Amino acid sequence: MRKSTLSRVLALTLSVMLVLTACGGNTANNEPSGTNETPGTTETPATETGSEPIKDLVISKVLTRELETFNTLYSQRAEDSENLTNLVDPLLEVDTYGKLVPAIAKEWGTEDGGLNWTFKLRDDVKWVDINGNEKANTTAWDFATGLEWIMNFHKNDSNNTSMPIEMIKGAEEYYEYTKALSPEEGKALTAGEGSKFLEMVGIEIPDDYTVIYHCITEKPYFDTVATYNCLYPMAQAMVDELGGVDGVTAMNNENMWYNGAYTMTSYIQGNEKIFTKNPLYWDKECDLFDTVTIKMVDSNDVAFQLYQSGELDYVILTESNVKTINENPNHEFHDYLVPDVPSKYSYQFHFNFQKNKEDGTPDTNWNTAIANTAFRKAWYYGLDLKEYYKRTNPITPMVCENNFYTMKGLVYNSKGTEYTELVRQQLGLPEQNGENMVRLDKAKFEEYKKQAMDELTALGVTFPVEVDHYISASSQTALDSANVLKQAMSNTLGDDFVKLNIKTYVSSLNKEVITPKLQSIALNGWGADYGDPQNYLGQETYGNDNAYYSGHYSNINFMTEDTEATKDLLAAYREYTRLVEEADAITTDLDARYDAYAKAEAYMLDNVLILPLNYSIGWSLSKVDVTSRMDAMFGIQNEKIKNWRTNKDGYTTEQAEKLEAEYEAGK
Amino acid sequence: MFKYTVKRLAQSFITVFIVVTLVFLLMRMLPTDYYFTEEQLMKFTEQQKNDQLLAAGLLDPVPEQLLRFYGQLLRLDFGESRRIQNGVPVVKVIGTKFEISMKMGLTSLGIAVVIGIVMGIIQAQYKNRIPDHLGTAYTIFVNAVPPLVSYSLVLIFGSRVLGLPSIYSSRNPGPSSILPIVCLAMLSIAWWALWTRRYMIDEINKDYIKLARIKGLPTKKIMRKHVLRNAFVPLAQYLPASILTTVGGSLLVERFFSVPGMGPLLTDSIHRYDLNVVQTLVIMYSVLSILGVFLGDVLMIVVDPRITLTNKGGTR
Repeated sequence: MRKSTLSRVLALTLSVMLVLTACGGNTANNEPSGTNETPGTTETPATETGSEPIKDLVISKVLTRELETFNTLYSQRAEDSENLTNLVDPLLEVDTYGKLVPAIAKEWGTEDGGLNWTFKLRDDVKWVDINGNEKANTTAWDFATGLEWIMNFHKNDSNNTSMPIEMIKGAEEYYEYTKALSPEEGKALTAGEGSKFLEMVGIEIPDDYTVIYHCITEKPYFDTVATYNCLYPMAQAMVDELGGVDGVTAMNNENMWYNGAYTMTSYIQGNEKIFTKNPLYWDKECDLFDTVTIKMVDSNDVAFQLYQSGELDYVILTESNVKTINENPNHEFHDYLVPDVPSKYSYQFHFNFQKNKEDGTPDTNWNTAIANTAFRKAWYYGLDLKEYYKRTNPITPMVCENNFYTMKGLVYNSKGTEYTELVRQQLGLPEQNGENMVRLDKAKFEEYKKQAMDELTALGVTFPVEVDHYISASSQTALDSANVLKQAMSNTLGDDFVKLNIKTYVSSLNKEVITPKLQSIALNGWGADYGDPQNYLGQETYGNDNAYYSGHYSNINFMTEDTEATKDLLAAYREYTRLVEEADAITTDLDARYDAYAKAEAYMLDNVLILPLNYSIGWSLSKVDVTSRMDAMFGIQNEKIKNWRTNKDGYTTEQAEKLEAEYEAGK
Repeated sequence: MFKYTVKRLAQSFITVFIVVTLVFLLMRMLPTDYYFTEEQLMKFTEQQKNDQLLAAGLLDPVPEQLLRFYGQLLRLDFGESRRIQNGVPVVKVIGTKFEISMKMGLTSLGIAVVIGIVMGIIQAQYKNRIPDHLGTAYTIFVNAVPPLVSYSLVLIFGSRVLGLPSIYSSRNPGPSSILPIVCLAMLSIAWWALWTRRYMIDEINKDYIKLARIKGLPTKKIMRKHVLRNAFVPLAQYLPASILTTVGGSLLVERFFSVPGMGPLLTDSIHRYDLNVVQTLVIMYSVLSILGVFLGDVLMIVVDPRITLTNKGGTR
């Protein structure tokens, strides 16, 4: 009798569970039903490894990288752009080497050193709805509408305005003009013929398939801006269909218009997105997946579990996973470790020259020490970061070695020489050897350390100098890395010289630490918005309000008085700024321009105004040939899932190395 | 009862009003930099920041902002999300998540109540014997092991041995809900078992039960009609609150299994300074908590008519 009661209870429980969970199938979003029947499906070619390619790709992203907006023009976050780049196409895109190639613009150019840029558009690019049904042609007017949207104060919350203001004639004036209007008046503006926008702003639409941008001064790199959010298109007909500005602000995957490689046929916030191949996509030759599913996961450890159970096709490995797999020859993935491609970010130590203590008073000890050239040079020549690199890459840590400010591969001169190679030559640094950091020099370190201690002691500085380094309070990974850095500083710079204090912030580095100027150093990466060294070097110039790091991290812009302690530092910044401005002025000869920037960058590094930290190059398990991905060191294109080669069985380390060698040879 | 209900509702309204006002004021006390994303802080000039704050009404005097906020609440206008889903009405953002958390929470609660109470009854009946020890061991285990460790064990066992999906999928909600539901129910089962056992043992040791045994009533009847019924009275008080708070989801479980529910929403919205979402959630949780306590009181009266809420004395 007792048994039967228990059975009834269990049966009831299971019934309740099944009834309730079965109800969960309906979602507000469209299911990807029938996606395999989409017309225009192209066969993905067999891979070189002989294994079958994947038709329905499944990848993951950590939950913190969730999408916040469907409007590319509004988005300023990489987390948004890495999704949206698959949904809307711009004028140009990049190839696997980061070179600009045609997209909606079939040809483009400038005849006056970058003052005026003409883009000739294809006439077969369609806007489609979520189901791939044609809505309209993509025309030059859509690029005018896009730019008007960005520059209109009442439409885009001022997002993405900085580059157009800096580069395009009349953009700033139009922004100010709209700001003075009421919200209703501002929202009613468009970019149509005879509009105030066309009258004021340096954009011209001579016909439906030609767009001309007029720059303020010569911008020889302006075409690379075409891969960034601020020059993306928007169809006025879509704005009208959605009911105006507020409708666009709230638009979602179900009502937006697409002209990119995929439409997003399902979006469950915090869980899953499904991209389905756009049947009317303009590039008929490219290889696309039938569907791409992006699963949002709590961490890369969970992603690894999913890869193990066959639910994912690509996973970036954490340090512990790499070690576990690499150190066990019998591990199922031991032969499948694939070196990942570098991200577009170049990481640096940014020194704060105007540091405050937590009570808001200046940290004189640190500020005096860091203004001393010998003190900074001792860091440059002495700080060995090899153990720190192992946090990102435990197998080949030295691929993470960074000796430059600008990211490798950003631009090449006419001889095919990569820009940072020019900087290396200027600095007289040896080539990287894969074993040790090439900038280290024990003798110079000892010499500068002694000099710094002598000079600074005379100025009243006490040693060891306390170095406040802030990390996220909730990140164990950040804490582990900070502890490794602390050990590295202790081992190589010496406990008598500096002492790293690991401190924490709760949710926002910028708001809790950078704004009140509490940090001594900030470890931060910069990824270029467009393809020119100016986008890097311009962030560090002195006295320039638009120089991000000078105004936020180093705070050098707030240092105006030449004192005994600061005169050398300010002189170095002034000279560096002069060199950058000299390079900025060279607009017709790109080789000379890059040489001039390389000289400025070498000067900055020689004076250790920043200290290069690392590149982010880890390991992955992958059924995707990572070398087949778009790989530009600027713009928002790198996550565009187009022409990706895949292998259902996953790439072995050997295969990946062969593919990488082929890729390097093709450069 | 009517008088009691009116009094409680009035108290509840005042409580919600105070909570909402406090949250509003606390959020406005944060530096205005919190209004902007990290990227906006990077790229905006000071003038642009100021213009945006002005346009959003955040530079208006706080009393003015507060009155505007009350006005919106009276119109049931909870505004739009700025960060979680830019431009989307808060009610819609919450609505989709609410449904998922509620279904999953009610399922796990149903399982936990049934299994937990049955476990507690068996433990009480076999006090200090093997079934009791097993139940106690389970209770200690799930309470002692950190949740993320036990979730990982469930994940590995469920996905590798049973072949269940590792994370929630809206396309396959049934099977992919099993592991999160198991994790949600695990701790809850222990709670219900622990307290059922405890209250039942309390009752078993009382004189009226001893008298019933002496009078020759069958054990089963004593356990069902007297012990369980009386032991359930204090437990009943928590049942409505448990049901209502299921809509809040579970931060840990939902994050771990990528369930797009309510669990992480409040922390995410605070973290991202999504004011309208924070305010709406706080109102919702306050109302649910107050309602849960009220219904708990009512349920106690239903389960045990000896209890009154208005007359002094005569209570248990």
